[in-house]
Amino acid sequence: MTKPITTPLTQALAEGKLTRDELKSFMRRSNIPAFKRLAIWVIVLLLTSSAVYFSLGTAWVFPAMFVHGVVLVHHFSLQHECVHYTVFRTRWLNDLFGSICGVIIGLPHTHFRYEHCDHHTYTQIDGDDPELVPMPKSFASYLFYLTAIPYWRTKFTEIWRHSFGRLTASEKRFIPKVAYKLVFLEARLMLAAYLTLVGVMVIFDWYSPLFYWIFPLILGEPVMRFIRMTEHVGRPTVSQMRENTRTNLVSLPWRFLCWNMNYHAEHHYVSSVPFHALPRLHEKLKDHIHVEHNGYIGAHRDILQQLNLPSSKSNSGV
Amino acid sequence: MKREKTWKDLVPVAELEDQWVSRVTFGSRLIAVYDTPSGYYASLALCNHGGADLCDGYFDGHIIECPLHQGAFDVRNGKPISAPATRRMITFETRNVDGILQIRI
Repeated sequence: MTKPITTPLTQALAEGKLTRDELKSFMRRSNIPAFKRLAIWVIVLLLTSSAVYFSLGTAWVFPAMFVHGVVLVHHFSLQHECVHYTVFRTRWLNDLFGSICGVIIGLPHTHFRYEHCDHHTYTQIDGDDPELVPMPKSFASYLFYLTAIPYWRTKFTEIWRHSFGRLTASEKRFIPKVAYKLVFLEARLMLAAYLTLVGVMVIFDWYSPLFYWIFPLILGEPVMRFIRMTEHVGRPTVSQMRENTRTNLVSLPWRFLCWNMNYHAEHHYVSSVPFHALPRLHEKLKDHIHVEHNGYIGAHRDILQQLNLPSSKSNSGV
Repeated sequence: MKREKTWKDLVPVAELEDQWVSRVTFGSRLIAVYDTPSGYYASLALCNHGGADLCDGYFDGHIIECPLHQGAFDVRNGKPISAPATRRMITFETRNVDGILQIRI
């Protein structure tokens, strides 16, 4: 008989960690939780952008742009949920909001969707997982990753390459031929939009986008790199989901910003479960996954300890 | 010569999950049976993208979503509606005969 492939979900069901009725309950979708969270999201954005407005011309503009940027870079979390079609029950809303987030943070949605599929298929498998963040080899490379310079370099290069109709060999592994045109079109549209904005800023001497978007994004991205590292970096590069992924228990503001994606191992177990059900799924799976009780800071302590740095052996954290 | 398709008993309707997808073994095949607002539909159970079992996926109305990558298909005609699904899935005609769901295969 033709058999389905073994996935973390099939394993969880076979081992009785999860029943079929529970799975159905966890997967239930609705537009209402998403719109409620988005309403608060918009209020938070208004508050942080107001802080930038009122601090312009003072030294406070830098912390204000940083805080605003931390919120802006978390559009990645919303986009990531949209990639899984788990934000809204109405499927096209996921495509729409995912694409909007992609423009805000410079991450083309279609390309990310295909890339992310392979991340879920080959999580932490070196050479196959296209999103694998390697364990830093030194404290210097750890810090360099956190600057987000390598991230921006990769993203700019990707958009530029795709806008010229080119894909790398590894991209051809996860993007089907029928999607090439869409990936190229998406990159061209994004590049055109960004270049148009630059043109408008120069022609009309209007530089507000720099203070409300670009500078905050640059200032905030290291925080997103810090958070993204906590998901898999320092965990074993093996296929076993209970080993290769880390769930981080963090406080409510961080859970809000990351759309509950701190429950990362649960998400990898059952990626069809929407953000609002992940805390319930955590209660069900918490004894079967790797949980970092000290949150993002605890995860980085773990990473730094693996770097075998004298400073990481103290309790001062990072 | 191509074999002519005939109707075969698949499963008692009473055993199917209400407004959801059910997994049925039919000979050497795994069949996914969908209870939808417009009746019963059936397809091969394994996603033609990555081979995951669609019967563990999210089902809503007429749309089945793969549990692994969230690619999705319209169960009425097998049409792929969300990436990374790009190929039509194989579907079967169904009919309900005295409480037994049959497929034409």
